[in-house]
Amino acid sequence: MKVVELVDVSKIYQTEFYEVKALENVSLDVEEGGFVVIMGPSGSGKSTLLNLIGCLDKPTSGKVLINGVETINLSDKELTELRRDTIGFIFQTYNLIPTLSALENVELPMIFKGLSRHERRRRAKKLLSVVGLEREVDRKPKELSGGQQQRVAIARALANDPKILLCDEPTGNLDTKSGEQVMSIIKEQNEERGVTVILVTHDPTLAKYGNFVIRLRDGKIESIEGG
Amino acid sequence: MYLELARRNLQRAKVRSLLAIIGILIGVMAISAIGIFGESLKATVLESFEDVANELIVGPNYYAGYRYIDEKDVYQIEKLPYVESAIPVKSDTLLVESKKLKAYLQIYGLTEKDAEELFDAEKGIIRLKGSCVVGKNLAETWDIKVNSKITINSREFRVAGILEDTGARFDINPSTALIVSQDDFDKISDEGYTMVIVKADRLDHVDNVKKAIEERLNSREDKVYVFELSIILERINEAFSQINIFLMAIASISLLVAGVSILNIMLMSTIERTKEIGVMRAIGAYRTTILKIFLLEAAILGIIGSSIGSVLSLVGGYAIDYIILQNVKYVFQPGILFYLLLGFSVGLTTAVISGLYPAWRASRLEPIEALRFE
Ligand SMILES: Nc1ncnc2c1ncn2[C@@H]1O[C@H](COP(=O)(O)OP(=O)(O)O)[C@@H](O)[C@H]1O
Ligand SMILES: [Mg+2]
Repeated sequence: MKVVELVDVSKIYQTEFYEVKALENVSLDVEEGGFVVIMGPSGSGKSTLLNLIGCLDKPTSGKVLINGVETINLSDKELTELRRDTIGFIFQTYNLIPTLSALENVELPMIFKGLSRHERRRRAKKLLSVVGLEREVDRKPKELSGGQQQRVAIARALANDPKILLCDEPTGNLDTKSGEQVMSIIKEQNEERGVTVILVTHDPTLAKYGNFVIRLRDGKIESIEGG
Repeated sequence: MYLELARRNLQRAKVRSLLAIIGILIGVMAISAIGIFGESLKATVLESFEDVANELIVGPNYYAGYRYIDEKDVYQIEKLPYVESAIPVKSDTLLVESKKLKAYLQIYGLTEKDAEELFDAEKGIIRLKGSCVVGKNLAETWDIKVNSKITINSREFRVAGILEDTGARFDINPSTALIVSQDDFDKISDEGYTMVIVKADRLDHVDNVKKAIEERLNSREDKVYVFELSIILERINEAFSQINIFLMAIASISLLVAGVSILNIMLMSTIERTKEIGVMRAIGAYRTTILKIFLLEAAILGIIGSSIGSVLSLVGGYAIDYIILQNVKYVFQPGILFYLLLGFSVGLTTAVISGLYPAWRASRLEPIEALRFE
């Protein structure tokens, strides 16, 4: 089953003085359980592509389907629910909420979903132990290392048991060892729990984790390898 | 949990939150303290009129050709239901002379019993047998002592007593009155009864008494007019309420300032937290959730500021009453609760209204734009 389907997607950024064609006629299918690595140099449109898949942004033209659902026609509320229940985001800069502890950060998506306090506590603790942070539950983000913060972010992304994990340069700010730790957790989620992973990076060493590697250049797909 | 989130965000910017709270606090305090003071002032003024509140004054209707009230009409009034007492008063303007001064003054003729009911003596006694009693002010300006002699219309009177100033009355002013017995009055003047001071047994019977007097005496022709002193109380009450509202309105300008500062603080906060808002939207927060979080922050500021402000306004009200009225007994009264609640709710409302626009703006942010914000 196709969890993500892009049909002829273009994205043009209109600024005051010029326009940028960030994506041009990109078509792409991602099957459930796949691990797709999208590679390309900086400015090639990777983040733009990921944000479209994550329903954070809308294409200038073309269609984006998530789980077979056309997202163009969805309301802001429906898009929010789609992101909350089906998609997990992992950002390069972790983006944890600084006032909340590790545990509370992981709880947040479940709060938005309306889970009971007891249920979300239990689940957040379990997820933090999956990423190896059972001892750090009460720490605030600034009391954690970059690698630890990114692992909290992974736990948060997994909070509502998403079908799709979207990772934008997840190792971009990490040293090699932490980067590998983070990648192995993501890989594990993909292999053991069947979570579909779409990961964008400009780091060629990450290509090995994917069973598809898509190369992007100047907003166009250059090649697709694997399968 | 959203409450917790809001609380922590406020704690993150402690100084800023504190300033917002102080702003609200001062506004609430100003409103409530002034409210308390106004209420105390009103109570003080009303209290001085309390004795006369259930009085009615009946006078002859000059416009229909009546100059005096008949003795039998006085008798009729006395017999009406709800009437506790009816005191007929004669009065005339006569030449009064002491050792040094002479002047035409208003002289009242009362029975000794009635004079005792209406007034208290501060010095000497109320005795009207060939003697008179004088008001305190008059005694002071004329340098009159107990046992001094004065002549009224060439007839000599000994001053038996000086009246205590028991506050304003509308019938006979106790500070400037000069009172003789009715027998003596008849010897110096030809005037008849120029008014009857009627006391109803209860304040809420005043209207009934007024109607009864009018029905009885004015059945054929309007012989008398009846004037209720409680009307004056009502007017005073109204006037003070209006003054109070006006003063509180001025005080609420300080709340307006506080509101603007909250608006400012919250706007800064939404800008600083743009990225966080984007993150929350990305992981599943509705626009309304963002709105809720920011409004809660404003409400928390409002509640804390208003609560402290309300408590402090008691202190403030106490201080103002102490300084201006030299009397603090009206500060701790159930009626004051209204002003505390008013101050509190106006403070809270101001905070929430000021938070509305920043919260709305935060909730309108597009997730992608917010995430890109650095
Ligand atoms: N909001 C924006 N406004 C204008 N141009 C943008 C905006 N976002 C991205 N771009 C441009 O679109 C292109 C693709 O950006 P992006 O998707 O961030 O690339 P990548 O993630 O591969 O580095 C770049 O040229 C970038 O400058
Ligand atoms: Mg990028």
